[in-house]
Amino acid sequence: MNCAEFQELLPEILDSGETSESKVHAHSCKECSELYAELREISQAALLLRGVEEPNLRVWNSIEITLRQEGLIRDAALAGPALVPGHSRNWRLAWLVPIAALLVVMTSGIAIFQRNSQPQSIANLTPISTADGGTAEDQEILRAIGERTPTLRATYAADLQNINSYIRDAQDSLKNDPGDEEAQRALMGAYEQRAMVYEMAFERPLP
Amino acid sequence: MMRSRGNLTKAAVVTILAGVAFGAGEIRKEFRYSVGPKATVSVTNQYGPVSVRPIAGNQVIVTAVLNSDKVEVDQNQTGNRVNMFSRLLPGADGETGKVEYDLQVPSDANVMLHSNTGPLSAEGLTGEIAMEGTTAAVEVRNVDDAHVHIKTLDGPVTLTNVQKGHVEITSVSGDVNLNQVNGMLVEVNSNSGKIHYDGNFGDNGQYRLMSNTGDIEAFAPDTASIDVSARSIHGQVENDFRLEPEQTTPFLMRAESAFSGTLGKAASSVKLHSFSGKIHLKKRSTKSK
Repeated sequence: MNCAEFQELLPEILDSGETSESKVHAHSCKECSELYAELREISQAALLLRGVEEPNLRVWNSIEITLRQEGLIRDAALAGPALVPGHSRNWRLAWLVPIAALLVVMTSGIAIFQRNSQPQSIANLTPISTADGGTAEDQEILRAIGERTPTLRATYAADLQNINSYIRDAQDSLKNDPGDEEAQRALMGAYEQRAMVYEMAFERPLP
Repeated sequence: MMRSRGNLTKAAVVTILAGVAFGAGEIRKEFRYSVGPKATVSVTNQYGPVSVRPIAGNQVIVTAVLNSDKVEVDQNQTGNRVNMFSRLLPGADGETGKVEYDLQVPSDANVMLHSNTGPLSAEGLTGEIAMEGTTAAVEVRNVDDAHVHIKTLDGPVTLTNVQKGHVEITSVSGDVNLNQVNGMLVEVNSNSGKIHYDGNFGDNGQYRLMSNTGDIEAFAPDTASIDVSARSIHGQVENDFRLEPEQTTPFLMRAESAFSGTLGKAASSVKLHSFSGKIHLKKRSTKSK
């Protein structure tokens, strides 16, 4: 068994336990062994949390936004003007919460680590299109807003354009002076504001 | 018209005055709930104003005026938590989907208000106040010892007479006005909106007023006790005070774009930072306030 075969069988191995073949491979391959150990830990944590109370919708929203920003999920959540998500859908996917949360934490951690170790790289965190239309994510969000609350689309479009324009300026400024901590902070603040706009756009409030 | 949520409403005492015509198509409803200390009241309204004011006793009274039959009000009470939610029906728009909420809550209640168009307002409370709006104007006044969290896209934010507060405001393009706002933490983040502060920076707090491109204007009296740093990376800064210089400065000082120093005993920390907005720390005459 090679790495590709091992990784292809990972879901089954996690479900049913290791086979003799997978054991042999994991024993000889540190990378696959570590991958298996990490995924097993995550799936066990997920099992423990199956019975807990459903998380607040804001948790779902935050996870969704982050996954969307990371490009890990695409259009499904945008379909239709559903102001209120189906309860059963949330329950069915509830076991994914810890995994998604872990992904979010890991991604954030990596970003923070990279930020601390290479502050000048902040300027390149997310390339902002020079076109007025903004990023592909912006376009998706504006399309969703347009479908759900057309009257607010212009507001979101203007604000995203505004923030993107500022981000480009701040990136240029940082390129000229990569060590300027204040400029780094300002740029990070702008990214946070853009994230807030995304969050508000995808907010699906419930009582 | 109303979809109550069965067993979730077991603790609620709900009075509904439905179908009372106000104007053409308007419907008024009233809901009453008995709650304990530090109850949480949440209102999610797609279109229309939400206002909250204190009431003595242990009741929450919600009056909702629905603009048409294209919108419904869902409500429930779970333990010490009351939730109100405007549900748009097919064909609803910003006008027909509008609901006007007026809430009376115990002063120690925590309130969470959401409306796209607003306005949102709260007064006389002491608990957590979270308000979120897209274009909604947001106003908070006369609150004491409260946590205030506000997010808007381009709605203006006005806080007046907030004492011992923990205040966090993020607005993309709405102006933020703080009048007599003090507390352990007062933080404003704005992209292009202007930030205006008029107060004394009291309570040994941390005040962080940050903008990307919007101007920042702060008024303080001669008697203020602050350790202030201000910098605009590509904008101008002005300071009307005679500050005592600090031993160290957090950034390279350039006369036209930054200043720092202390006033009085430097009890509160004040940071005024912008990327390209103009920053002006102004001296307020004692006669004017």
